[in-house]
Amino acid sequence: MRTYSQIAGDGGSDVAGQIAELGAAIARRLASVRHRVAIGSGKGGVGKSTLTRQLAAVLSAAGRRVGILDADLNGPSQALLGGVRGTPPLPGENGLVVPRSRDGVRILSAGSVLGDGAALAWPGAEAGHQHVWRATREFASLAELLAAVDWGPLDVLLVDLPPGPERTAQFADFLGPATDVVLVTVPSALARGVVARSLDALRALPNRRLGYVENMSGYACPGCATVRPLFPEDSETASLGLACLGRVPFDPELARLCDRGVAVTEMAASDGPASPVLAALRDVATELMNRLEESR
Amino acid sequence: MKFLCVPCDTPMRLRATEESEPGSLSVVYSCPQCGYEMAMLTNAQETQMVRSLGVRIGPAAAKALAAAPTGELAAAEAGTAKCPFSAVLGGSTIGVPADPPAVEVGPAWTPEALARLEAIPEMVRPMARAGVEMVAREQGHRVIDEAVLAAARARFGM
Repeated sequence: MRTYSQIAGDGGSDVAGQIAELGAAIARRLASVRHRVAIGSGKGGVGKSTLTRQLAAVLSAAGRRVGILDADLNGPSQALLGGVRGTPPLPGENGLVVPRSRDGVRILSAGSVLGDGAALAWPGAEAGHQHVWRATREFASLAELLAAVDWGPLDVLLVDLPPGPERTAQFADFLGPATDVVLVTVPSALARGVVARSLDALRALPNRRLGYVENMSGYACPGCATVRPLFPEDSETASLGLACLGRVPFDPELARLCDRGVAVTEMAASDGPASPVLAALRDVATELMNRLEESR
Repeated sequence: MKFLCVPCDTPMRLRATEESEPGSLSVVYSCPQCGYEMAMLTNAQETQMVRSLGVRIGPAAAKALAAAPTGELAAAEAGTAKCPFSAVLGGSTIGVPADPPAVEVGPAWTPEALARLEAIPEMVRPMARAGVEMVAREQGHRVIDEAVLAAARARFGM
């Protein structure tokens, strides 16, 4: 009687071939993207999504062609931050065309097609067993989107990752070795500890770790235009052993405008002098591009 | 998974796949030598595993995938609800109405425009369709062709 390896194929569906073709389709789609940067942390609430959006705005204002992939299907925020809620991706001549923010950033976010407060349901899983399959389904859905999107030529695609140290590594692995990683922290021992775990999880992967950004690094007072400490200055913080790409203060006015889909570059144009946040973001963008341009 | 017809020592061929009941696939194999047929019936966990991988099970699966211009994948056959967005689209509160009123007859789609719509991932298709149809109504088009698709993209700033 023949054995498994003596029979050609996989039983008729060519599952391995389908998965390989999906990978090839993603590679074809991303061939027009010069740099891929996953922005993660591991810690939730440190401002990854806001930083991603505003970094994209600054890069776009500097003449770069920028896209954002909101990899957090369950907690998407880029549609809101980019002002493209209610703007669905549409069929184009060469695949799926994604919405653009007013400042020209292409944004693929589940938030474009989900209502306020609506959670994704993953149909088909038996009650009590959804947790078993959910991560696999999320990645399959993300892969399907990535294989479909016609990004066009991009200088930088920023990928906004969901929280979780292990997920940061999983997404870096999913996005492939050509995706570089930037981590976001805040000046607290707790956040740094979680980011250190993400960094540790990433060490097993070939992805370049470009550095970290310290977000909420002080409070940018809109009244006196000074930056004051937001966290206790004597916080004991572990060294991440990673280059710091910059420190970005917290600006309550920007936080308010973010909820309305206004970019930091638009805020500066309409509200007089540039905020310390904008200056800090420009420094981060410059440092990021310098590191991206370094040979691998 | 492969099946062997033991009396003939011949690999069986995948002949057909259908979702015979919710959460179960019936995958029919036949022996090309003696014609004997058998069906593999998957349990809920096995079906879910296939769905989670986002692959098709069936004799034409690989060919269908290669033909899809965007690499579209479906989880299983028979049009079951696979889309994680489908459960929430009906209650959408965002700008584009996910479900037009039942009494309203939507614009017709040309085969070419429909092919473009069906080439995008299922999870974004309902909202894309609703968005295009909304623009078609706004602009007085009764038939959606590729020009209307282009108009919809322009309307949404793409």
